[in-house]
Formats: sequence, C-alpha cells, structure tokens
Amino acid sequence: MKKNLVLAICLLTAHVAMSQKFITRAGEIKFEASMPAFEEVAAKNTTASCILEESTGDFVALVLVKAFKFKVPLMEEHFNENYIESTLFPKSTFKGKIINFDAAKIASTKMAYDIEGELTIHGITRKIKVKAYIAKYSGKITITSNFSIRPVDYEIKIPNIVKSKVAEDVKITYNFILDKK
Amino acid sequence: MKLKSIMTFSLVLFVYALASAQEDLLGQLDTVKLKEKTIETATFKALQIGNMQSTKLASKGETYILIAHRFGDLTKGLDNFFGLDNAYTKIGAIYGVTNWLSLGASRQTYHKIYELTAKYKFANQETNGFPVTIVGYNTWDINTELSEDDYPQLKASDRYNYSTQLPISRKFSNSFSLEITPIYVHKNLYDLIPGTEKENQFLIGAGGRYKLTKRLSFNLEYAARINAPENTIYHNPLTLGLDIETGGHVFQLVFSNSQSLNDVAVFTNTTGKWNGGGIYFGFNMYRVF
Repeated sequence: MKKNLVLAICLLTAHVAMSQKFITRAGEIKFEASMPAFEEVAAKNTTASCILEESTGDFVALVLVKAFKFKVPLMEEHFNENYIESTLFPKSTFKGKIINFDAAKIASTKMAYDIEGELTIHGITRKIKVKAYIAKYSGKITITSNFSIRPVDYEIKIPNIVKSKVAEDVKITYNFILDKK
Repeated sequence: MKLKSIMTFSLVLFVYALASAQEDLLGQLDTVKLKEKTIETATFKALQIGNMQSTKLASKGETYILIAHRFGDLTKGLDNFFGLDNAYTKIGAIYGVTNWLSLGASRQTYHKIYELTAKYKFANQETNGFPVTIVGYNTWDINTELSEDDYPQLKASDRYNYSTQLPISRKFSNSFSLEITPIYVHKNLYDLIPGTEKENQFLIGAGGRYKLTKRLSFNLEYAARINAPENTIYHNPLTLGLDIETGGHVFQLVFSNSQSLNDVAVFTNTTGKWNGGGIYFGFNMYRVF
C-alpha cells in the first residue's frame, strides 16, 4: 500500500519536475486602429503575463483589459466602457501551442514559428494562428509577433459616427521576455 | 483506507494535470492578478448631472469647453415661442491641472455672473476597495450686474457669493450610479428683498443616472433646502435630463425649474415650479480637448 502511495507521489512530482516553465508578468502588448488623418487610436499594456512550457510548447497568455493605456484619457474611458466592456470581460486570454517547438533548437537568433490556439477577447473565443519569432538569449526566451484581428469578429461594435476614425483591422504587436520559473 | 483515497486523489490529479495542461497554465496566471484594486471609471459621463456637479473631473491636461443654454419658460407657449425668446447662456472652460484638481471659469447671462470653480478629488471608488468617490467643489460667483449707481454703498465683496459642495457618488452597476451632495451656500449680499434670502443656506442634493444604451443615459437630480428662509419665494431645484455621448463630445439635454446656470442661483434662487409654471429647457455641451 505504502509503495503505491510513494509511486503516485513520484509520478506527480516527476510530472512537475519534468516541466520547464518560462514566465513573465511584464509582457508588452500594443494595439493600433488608427486611420490616416484622424486622431491616433492606440494603446499599450505592459503587464501582460504569459507562460511557456518548454517541454511541450504549450503557450498561454493573460492580460487585464483595464491596463491598456491610451494617450487620451477619454479614449481610454470609452474603450473600457463602450467597446471592450472591461467590467463585463475584465481579461483577455490566449491558450495554445507553439507548433514544432523544440527547446533544444531555439538559439540566440530569431526563428519563426507558428502559434496556434484560442484567443478570447470581449468574451468571444476564436481559433487563431499567428507567426511569432522566438529566440533564447542568456537564459531568457523572447517571443515577438504581430498580427491583426477584426473587432467585428469579437462582437465589438463600432458605431457609425466613428467608423471613419477607427480601422477595421486592429494591428496587435506583442513582445514577451520570459524568465525561467 | 485513508492511504487508498489519498492515492486515488493523486492519480486523479495527475491525469487531470496531463489532460488540461494549458488550462492549468492559464490558471497559474490568473490567481494573482484579479485581486488588484482598480479605480472605478465612468460613474457619470459628464462633469454635471444636469445642473449639479457630478463626481467626474477632467483628467490631467484635458480642457473642457462648456457651452450651456437655458431657454425661457417652456410653459408660456406661443407667447415666448416655448421659451426661445429669453435664453440664458453660459460659456466657460475647465482645465485638469492634475488628475485630482480641475479649475474652471465661466460667464453667464443671469446677473452677468463670472463663476470661478475648483473641483478636487479626495477618494476614488475602487473595485475590491473603497466604496465611494468623494469630491470637493467650490464656486465663487462675481456679480457684475450690481451697479454703484443703484447701490452707492456697494463694496466689492457684495458682489461675491460662494458655494461649497461635497459630492459623494457610487457606481452601483454599469448602468446605475447615485450621488449625494451636501451643499453650503454663502451670500454676502442677501437682503435686497427682506425675508426672502439668507446669508447661509444648507442643502442636501441627490442625483443619479441610468444608462439606457451605451451612449445614452437618463439623469435626475434634486436638492432640498434644509433651512430655507421663512418667506421664501424660491423653490427646490428639480432637474431631469439626457446625456448623449459622441466621441469627444457630451451633449446634455436638460429640463429644470431653474433657468439660471450658476450653482448658487440654482440651489437658492430657483424661480420655477414643476407643478404650475416655470420649466426651462436647455442643454449643456462639453467638448473635450
């Protein structure tokens, strides 16, 4: 009986020990939906967090929507209240996998990978696949990427009167520097 | 027996951990962050509820240009074309010196009053934290209509009236916010019509907003005079309105029994009555720069 218990505990700890996590809580995410000749519509978040599981390539990220900072405070208020509705949907998440990720192969020069998974914004979850550049340098893994999403896909309504001032495709760029946990 | 259950439990855990590795990873990120206190925003859309001040301040570096109108008495019908004849106008600006201090200046038709204002924040309502927003508001009116030809003894200070207010608000839900405001009004010149005015008056004001859609809200406010003069010819102000928000503008449609636009007169010199004459339609328009 005792043996079995030890075995079970070993299995559990083995699983934990096997995994090699990299983490950050200060990731940077920017988005921009500006239109030429109109006021800049852009925001930056520097408190995004994410974890990369080196052994499997599992990759998850979480961001508090209210932490997106705009240059214009009123725009930030409207973004939270009328567009992204941050009291109803306080966080956006991504969970997925870096395809063909091999920890042994990442080097100090950037390599392109595909990341595939589920992106949840405004309470709507959609499958996405984006290109990301990954490098490892002095023990830290950096992941950078840029991609576009359409607010309409996430049921974020843009009223007619401001339609000309907000781009239909929102450009998102992120830059994560992950430390070994 | 006990051992067995522990073992089963660990095994279940192990299997679960394998099956939902990503979910689990997400869970690890989730635990810490959501306990943070965050400041509640957008309790009110505009700096005013209708006539009364809301607990909203201009952000640092923002300038609000205010243009407000109150048309004449709506109840007089065609006689003054539903109030279009005798409109009061207020033009002013409010500047956010910091996030907790705004200064403003305005000029309005009634008694040719210049109004200087200061609004300052004591506390913010927080999610998972402090329950209310507390703001201080002071107005200083300078009546430039009083003339020394009519009042040879007039001193400069006779032109001054003051109000001190303490708006306290709470955003109860996304659409519903409520405010209570203790108000103190002080007048230097108050006995032009004996017995109808007082040097010091206290009021309790209350106001609220209910959002009908994302960019439209219904507002209501009332202020009760606690020590109104015995022979008062004035009434307690009751105001209702609609906020319409369009990007950088807030447009407020207002119905009130007060035609004047400065706080002192709204609170202590409201001439209209909701039941029987004197309802004024108008608007406040804010443009943010």
